[in-house]
Amino acid sequence: MLKGIRLSVPSDERMLETVQVFVESVGMAGGVLPDELTSLSIAVMELVRNGMKHGNRMNPAKPLTVTVDVLPGRVSFQIEDTGSWQPDRDLGHRPGEGNELLDDRGRGILIARNLAKWVEFDLTPEGKTRATLIWPLT
Amino acid sequence: MKISEENKGTAKVIRLSGKVISGPDLMEVKTAFESAVNNDFRRILVDLGSVSWMDSSGLGVLVSGHTTVSRAGGRMVILNATKKIHELFIITKLITVFDTFNDETEALAALEG
Repeated sequence: MLKGIRLSVPSDERMLETVQVFVESVGMAGGVLPDELTSLSIAVMELVRNGMKHGNRMNPAKPLTVTVDVLPGRVSFQIEDTGSWQPDRDLGHRPGEGNELLDDRGRGILIARNLAKWVEFDLTPEGKTRATLIWPLT
Repeated sequence: MKISEENKGTAKVIRLSGKVISGPDLMEVKTAFESAVNNDFRRILVDLGSVSWMDSSGLGVLVSGHTTVSRAGGRMVILNATKKIHELFIITKLITVFDTFNDETEALAALEG
């Protein structure tokens, strides 16, 4: 088992490609099927970008950390920012419904939840926002 | 991400390639839609055949383009959406907004219709 693999980056959109390479590399090493890697990285990246934007306000001095654990039958990704926001409350609108279908933002969590099937948000013991994404291994 | 444009009769074809993701590049796409409308193009075809990766911000720019073109009385259609991008359209229900085609001639004919 691979546990506690960690990448910490400044909250800067230019770091997104670095995170993508990390996610796909660790996913491949953990046994995610090659044709699932793109969906996995899209899902994780949506959560990473949300953390940078809403948790860290795109402040490069504030790190965004991704921790990966390869467990029996699944790979777990934990994305932690330095904010104390609650995604389900703070991003309450639901694009894809009614008049919001044509909103040009706010689809990140919807996409992550649909691609990954399991995405949860909670606060760390220090009160910081943490997203957990579980990717099943088939 | 790369963007190229081509005029096909009265239609403007906007071809995107690479990663259409969050970042300054997306402004270029938004500008392409606005510029097309400002230059009196009302039929816009967006070719996504060479897009390797798209995130919610990329989708947002397509929605913004659709809105820009529609408000000007025009129509925008999507060409060659890959399987992954099509999946994103379904997840976000944008499949009910975008008309998608896999054949350019057919797409251009739809724009004429």
